[in-house]
Amino acid sequence: MTPFKSLKNSHQRLQIIARAMLCVTAFAFTNCSDGNFSNLETLPAQQFLEKPIDFLGNTYSVRAQIDSQIKWEKGVGRILAVLPEGSSKRLPVFVAETVGDNIHIGQRFEMRVRIQEGGLVYVEALRKY
Amino acid sequence: MLKHYASISLCLLGVSSLLSGQGVGAPPAYQPAPAPVAQAGGSAPTSGIFESSTFLESANRAFDPTSDSMNFEEGSFVWKGRSFNLTEQRAFRARLERFLLTSPSSEEQEYAVLMTDIMERLSVENTNSDEAMFETWELLFRASRFDSDGGNSTIVANQVFNAWRIRKESRGISMSQRELEQVRVTQQEIVANRQFTLRRIRERRLQQTSASNRDENETKTDGESALTSEDAFRVLDLAETEAKIIALESQTALNAMQAKIQFQSQIVSFFMQRRFQHALVLSSFYQLIFKGSQQQLEVGKDELSSFFPNTDLTFTVDTMSFVSREAINDINKGVDAVNTAYGEDRSLIALERLQETFFLGEYSPELNLIPTTQRRHLLDLYRGMIEAGDLAEAKDYNGVAEMVEQISALASDFPKNRILSSIETAKSVSDMAVFAASQYRNLGDIDKSRAELQNAIEVWPSNPSIREFQQETTKMATAGSQGVKVFDDLMGREDKRAIYERRMELGFALSSDKERLPIFTNVVDEVARIEMLVKQSEELVKQGNDYAAWEFLVEAAKINPDDGPMNRARADLAPQVADFVLHVNRAERQVDSGHYAGALAGYLAAQDVYLASRLCREGVEATANALMGVLKGEMPVAE
Repeated sequence: MTPFKSLKNSHQRLQIIARAMLCVTAFAFTNCSDGNFSNLETLPAQQFLEKPIDFLGNTYSVRAQIDSQIKWEKGVGRILAVLPEGSSKRLPVFVAETVGDNIHIGQRFEMRVRIQEGGLVYVEALRKY
Repeated sequence: MLKHYASISLCLLGVSSLLSGQGVGAPPAYQPAPAPVAQAGGSAPTSGIFESSTFLESANRAFDPTSDSMNFEEGSFVWKGRSFNLTEQRAFRARLERFLLTSPSSEEQEYAVLMTDIMERLSVENTNSDEAMFETWELLFRASRFDSDGGNSTIVANQVFNAWRIRKESRGISMSQRELEQVRVTQQEIVANRQFTLRRIRERRLQQTSASNRDENETKTDGESALTSEDAFRVLDLAETEAKIIALESQTALNAMQAKIQFQSQIVSFFMQRRFQHALVLSSFYQLIFKGSQQQLEVGKDELSSFFPNTDLTFTVDTMSFVSREAINDINKGVDAVNTAYGEDRSLIALERLQETFFLGEYSPELNLIPTTQRRHLLDLYRGMIEAGDLAEAKDYNGVAEMVEQISALASDFPKNRILSSIETAKSVSDMAVFAASQYRNLGDIDKSRAELQNAIEVWPSNPSIREFQQETTKMATAGSQGVKVFDDLMGREDKRAIYERRMELGFALSSDKERLPIFTNVVDEVARIEMLVKQSEELVKQGNDYAAWEFLVEAAKINPDDGPMNRARADLAPQVADFVLHVNRAERQVDSGHYAGALAGYLAAQDVYLASRLCREGVEATANALMGVLKGEMPVAE
């Protein structure tokens, strides 16, 4: 019998699960706000637009305002048009459903993105600023 | 098909030659089909005929310078319900123009004064002694010396003189009659005495019967026979005298009747000739010469009855005087009306009233009150209206329009706009008929095309569109025979634009070619759509909307990227929309490579240049769908 199973009632089990989740959440929050975004280079939007293939596989930081939602697919995510700081041209980014929940037009986000196949700007993480 | 073109061409040539030969609308060489309905705004032939007749009626009303009182068809002029015989229009026109060309002279004024003086002298208000009447009669010879009189005063004078002569002869006859009556009395006495004497002799002889029978018989025979013969001669003389008296009485009566009839005939004749002054003068003389019981008219009753229909009036010389005086008064009023209308710049009304007045008072001096400048102005107007009427009859609308301008410059009360409007309507109807004829010809419906063309010619024979139609048809008929070869050559070179530009002639040539016709139709449709898009693009460039113009050219390029005019338009416009085109081209290349995310970025960038871009909106939507499909694992993604 495992120690978890040896617990006498379900109340105790729930307490343990809640504490564990709290720890995970705290870790994740700490990890995101611990300066990993600031260590990344800012995506050169103009150059990316001209030749996106050159940027495949790289990870960048993008500070941008949400302009519009181009498409959303349940279980997949959403394609957003964002306006990066210092750029006059909008940029399409993909935010997986697991990465962001509520995203509204006009909100500003700092995003960690990875350039994937076909020039897809894949948002790995984001936070409001 | 070629036969049909040739038919139309020959028809046109025939109609043209007819028109050029006659100078007016030619009669139809054939009967048009019964009222076909044209496509694309074509008109039914009958509507054009209606329009044409409507214009003619309108023009006839507007350009007819004659007065409503005149009816040249019936040859009558109606004045106060009385009808005068109107001479033929051309003759009347000549006399009116002659009047308008002449100027009133001082001699005519003198004549007018003299005639007025004569009429006043004959008035019952003045002394009408034989001496006064003789002086007035002498004035007639002065009047007859004027050209305006035309010798009619001499006729009056002769009539009066004739009446006087007959009266004088009657006096002589009366004297002879009186003498004969005295002779008759004497003869009657002689005859009576002879009879008395004879009776006494017979009585005395009867008393002497005792004498011998022989002597008695001899004496009786000699004495009685002598007395009887003398008595018979006296009776014969008396009878002869009686006969002479009766003959003289008859001659007197006959002479008087003859003078009266001649006088009355001349009065009626003057009246019918509209020489109202002379009729009045002669009537006045008649009233002075003949006694009151002789005033009833014996001649001209039938002529006068036409002036006074539905009446049982007894016509007298006074009636003639009254009507003549009324006519003279009406002439005076007419002249006043003409001068007033002209003074108020109503030249058209002045012209109408002048004609009435002129016809009634052609021989009256009152017409001289119309000044020379006014006559010339009205002459120009009269000639202009007649010419415009002739042009309208010939359906020369351009000529009519020019004349309308000239006429309205002469007469401000002329209905210029009404005529110009009618002209424009008629022209439009003719143009529409030509257009419909072209449409039917292009569709191969030759009968309807011919009917529409006929309609166009009837409405406006000199329509320039008809000649263009003729040339076009002739050209097509010529080119039609080579059309198949030309089409094959052009298709071999993929020169669709050239096919489109020669679509009329090729269409006819291929209209019965079942193999080539669908291909030809597709090519024409394709280039027509490109042409339309290029035209729309040009319009947008004019409005300063370069990006929208570019998008139309992009659409045109999708139909046929090799079209020359479209590519020239793109090349001209490209520098103005370079930033937009750069992003769009980049996006399209990414799409071709399967890089949907990159393509989406390109479209978004292009949309930032031209926000209303339909091209970008569709591109964004398409690439977003494709990208989402890739993310779902449904579509392959390029590396």
